[in-house]
Amino acid sequence: MAESKKERRSTLDPAVADLLKGMQHKQAELQLPRHEREKLARERAKIQSRRDQRVTYDLPPSIREGIRLLAEELRLPASQLATLALARFLREYQNGQIDLGVYKQPSRSPRYDWNLVFPEEWINPSKRKKAG
Amino acid sequence: MIFAFANQKGGVGKTTTAVTLADGLARLKRRTLLVDLDPQGHVALSFGLEKSPGLYRLICLDEPLSAVVQTVRPNLDVVPGDKQTEKVKRQITLADFRETILSDLLATAEYEAVLLDMAPSLDVLHINGLIAADWVIIPTRLDALAVDGVNEILTTMAEISRNGHHYRGYSILPTFFDRTTRETLLQFEEITRVFGSSVWPPVPQDTRVRETVAYGQTLWEYSPDSSSVAGFTEGHQYLGGYRQVLGKLLEVLDG
Repeated sequence: MAESKKERRSTLDPAVADLLKGMQHKQAELQLPRHEREKLARERAKIQSRRDQRVTYDLPPSIREGIRLLAEELRLPASQLATLALARFLREYQNGQIDLGVYKQPSRSPRYDWNLVFPEEWINPSKRKKAG
Repeated sequence: MIFAFANQKGGVGKTTTAVTLADGLARLKRRTLLVDLDPQGHVALSFGLEKSPGLYRLICLDEPLSAVVQTVRPNLDVVPGDKQTEKVKRQITLADFRETILSDLLATAEYEAVLLDMAPSLDVLHINGLIAADWVIIPTRLDALAVDGVNEILTTMAEISRNGHHYRGYSILPTFFDRTTRETLLQFEEITRVFGSSVWPPVPQDTRVRETVAYGQTLWEYSPDSSSVAGFTEGHQYLGGYRQVLGKLLEVLDG
């Protein structure tokens, strides 16, 4: 039986360990040839410039997968498809073309008043197919 | 619980750390006493007060603790010091049971936390502070001389322990932390390798600290968002700084 790889448990305070790791990473970077350092700096700047555009939402896997497949089929970035979908939603909502009341149900969470409950076939299309 | 802030090396941030953490605890409504054991008397100045011989009155004139403390902020009392603290050392040297005088005086003090700001020396008052303490916090710059001061304190603590005193623990607090220099990294690697989880999150180097003292305010009052309080930003998280250090102190205090 293959022995599972044992990892040494860090005994450091997590903040100390993170800081140390970051400093060691930076120090290692300083040892790299100039062109590699410049490349890393460019990559970092690119990531930082995109920070305002990044967001994390929880999506049903079927919707995420649907966007991915469509993006592949149309050979487009998935982010742009998601932007299109959200932009159209916002415009249509503001024009009164979308009624959230159809989906709204009271939430038991202390954080929110409402939840949106979507039709099952949106969330889990395969289940519906099997049931049908 | 009694915390001593000690390092025989001067200029490592003992007083700033003691003042900031004392005020931090008091702001969390923990009844706190800060005792200045340093004849420089800088604790009083840090709160915008004049130096005064509080420790001298307590130990040499036998005045009760309640008579010598000054309430400097809500929930925060201070026993101030001044050059008369030197006389305290002389008196203690001549007394019986001289090593436990401070410990005995503080034994009945009704505070959740007592913080002792120690002088950078190894005299009888320093030993009194170390014997009174349950937990020793050792602020240190990350340079070879200051780290040597850490070893000296730990050696002294080991000697005190051999004579029957029980410490609940100790922590090493890197101060004036400049994460851009190679020397800091080397020293940081070394102390974390040797002392592991006893190393607390470091306090960044920050000019705001010097300004704070000039205005007679604490860091929480003068610049609560400065890096010395908030820590280093690393992506979306903050690392180090007095806010995290206060959290560590509370973990110790609350067991």
